[in-house]
Amino acid sequence: MSMTHATPETFDRNARRALADPILHRALRNLADNFVVRRRNVILSVDDWQGLRERARSIKEETLLRLDKYLEQFTENAAKAGTTIHWARDGKEACEIIVALVRATNAKMVVKAKSMTGEEILLNEALEEAGIEPVETDLGEWIIQLAGETPSHIVVPAIHKTKQQIAELFVEKVGIDKTENVDVLTQTARKILRERFAEAEVGISGVNFGVAETGTILILENEGNIRMTTSLTKTHIAIMGIEKVIPQLADLDVFLKLLPRSGTGQRLTAYQSLITGLKKDAEDIGPDEFHVVMLDNGRSRMLAHRVTRQSLACIRCGACLNACPVYQQVGGHAYGSVYPGPIGAVITPQLIGLSKAKQLPYASSLCGACREVCPVKIDIPELLLHLRAEITEGSAGGTTVKARLKPKFAESLAFKMYGLAWSKPAWYEFGAKVSRLMQRLVARDGKIGNVGGLISRLVPPLGAWTAWRDAPVVAPKSFREMWRDKENDAR
Amino acid sequence: MTLDNAHSDARSAIFASIRDNLAASASFDAIRNEHHVHAASELALTGSTIRDRAEVINGFRENLKLLGAKCAFVENEPEAADRLSEIVNVLNAKKIVISDSELVHRIVNASGFDAVQDASREELFASDIGVTSAQWAIAETGTLVLGSGAERHRLVSLVPPVHVCILLTGSIRQSMAEILEIADPDANRTITFITGASRTSDIELTLAIGVHGPGELHVIVIKDQ
Repeated sequence: MSMTHATPETFDRNARRALADPILHRALRNLADNFVVRRRNVILSVDDWQGLRERARSIKEETLLRLDKYLEQFTENAAKAGTTIHWARDGKEACEIIVALVRATNAKMVVKAKSMTGEEILLNEALEEAGIEPVETDLGEWIIQLAGETPSHIVVPAIHKTKQQIAELFVEKVGIDKTENVDVLTQTARKILRERFAEAEVGISGVNFGVAETGTILILENEGNIRMTTSLTKTHIAIMGIEKVIPQLADLDVFLKLLPRSGTGQRLTAYQSLITGLKKDAEDIGPDEFHVVMLDNGRSRMLAHRVTRQSLACIRCGACLNACPVYQQVGGHAYGSVYPGPIGAVITPQLIGLSKAKQLPYASSLCGACREVCPVKIDIPELLLHLRAEITEGSAGGTTVKARLKPKFAESLAFKMYGLAWSKPAWYEFGAKVSRLMQRLVARDGKIGNVGGLISRLVPPLGAWTAWRDAPVVAPKSFREMWRDKENDAR
Repeated sequence: MTLDNAHSDARSAIFASIRDNLAASASFDAIRNEHHVHAASELALTGSTIRDRAEVINGFRENLKLLGAKCAFVENEPEAADRLSEIVNVLNAKKIVISDSELVHRIVNASGFDAVQDASREELFASDIGVTSAQWAIAETGTLVLGSGAERHRLVSLVPPVHVCILLTGSIRQSMAEILEIADPDANRTITFITGASRTSDIELTLAIGVHGPGELHVIVIKDQ
């Protein structure tokens, strides 16, 4: 099963294919059973979870409103401590910078810590093209690299694979005897990757937070591969989105309480590395060169509006993916983009252009589960509606998207009628009466199901709805009618 | 064009874009534009009321236990050396690598084992146990805090399959917020927080221990004299 050619523009088709894949469903089931439950329990260990979310959001808001100031401060302080700062307007520039840095070391191989930003700029492809072998060292990333796939989740990239599939992959690519014992599979990866760490000269990582007042970067992990990547090598290159900066070291306390709890349901991940420039003494452990590549790639555009700016508050915890009923059913590959799930549905169109990802803002039922769990209180439904409005109105609204998309005539007509019908009580009651009459044709046992495709032929929009679930019937009497009857009886 | 020119072009283009876009949004959110009062550290500290030392130390022990780390509280350095010998014997460890901490040196010497300081990459990968100290610990999460300014323990605490960490009760604090206040990133160019053994749940979200870092974590806490 390969969905690697799925694009955001084929979401509808990708989703249908995913819905028909029982193995994928079994794999995705683990998220709801595990991360969702663990998160729910572990947030109780914080006294004031809602207050903490507020605090995190206001720190992000403060930073984003003065992003230029905080970026200047961060890069100046990092440079003072020995960090070499680079700037990349887009993914191509970032890849060119990184390839040039690796070439300068003469290394033919680099060890990589999981970085969604690295995925976003297609860094592995760029390295391979330059004759440099990228070795993913996060277990999940290594698995999908072996399989030639892309991550389907921000935190657990191989969540779409079952143990059986991974066992078969190891037999084929690593040549071990088939086993579904997770400890054996993990130890196999450890052994193979240690051989690569032992020879590695260059390490590439992402960044979770950059602290302006000290020029420090923070990276969180559970496995230890990031510590290996950043401390065993002679050259460390980190890719950092410009939105990752926060003002103060003390602010990390807030995010270190929120991120592990939201992401994996842990109070704290096993390791956090705070790295500030280079070692002071050349004899010390650690790289001799430390580069941070600051990446824009469409991020600064999101600052232009209060609604879109929220996207830059994201700390990539993945909680909205785990909570999303759509993601839970279709998985990450269906989104056809590096960032899947609710947050992917809002940032992908902004990163690559709304005209290339028109389907994604509609890949949601607007149930709001994502907004409930988001540790930085991003109002994802508001963002989805904002992007939908841009699509239907065909206007860029002075913000992120230049694409002009034609609104559908039938759709805008339907919504005008709908608006009219609901604007006057008399019209509304009349509509309900007509519906009650009409539904006799199609209702069975108080529900409207897809009765032999009859619905699709009679009312196509309702047919699309009832293909996967039943629609409720209009009640025999409305509340207002019951109320009137009661008043009449009382007289 | 040289790389340096490209660099300054990209930098100024990004800053120009940030400033233009922020200016475009200014009319939308003039109200929100007032400076947020910054008091993260205040907020963080209200979370941890003053506790007595015994409570803090006991909390550290309990949280380490929850993480699956093995923890021993000892009265003095000779007892710590005994405890270390026990660990080494039980694991039948042959190759011991250590950091340059004086405390670690005294205890390893007292236990009578041969140990390598400033081990090479090859020696590290072939080692059985790494012994370090920690500059601080956090009770509320059972976390060890290693500051590079005080000790060379970045690799000794990471590469061997077993990490033994020896620290003093006086270095235990209640919260992360307290550590962030005293940790000096300029003096400590790397600060590593360690909470339990290396772990992963990348295969079907099933927990597996010891994927890249140590699979076993032992903590020996010596009572301050």
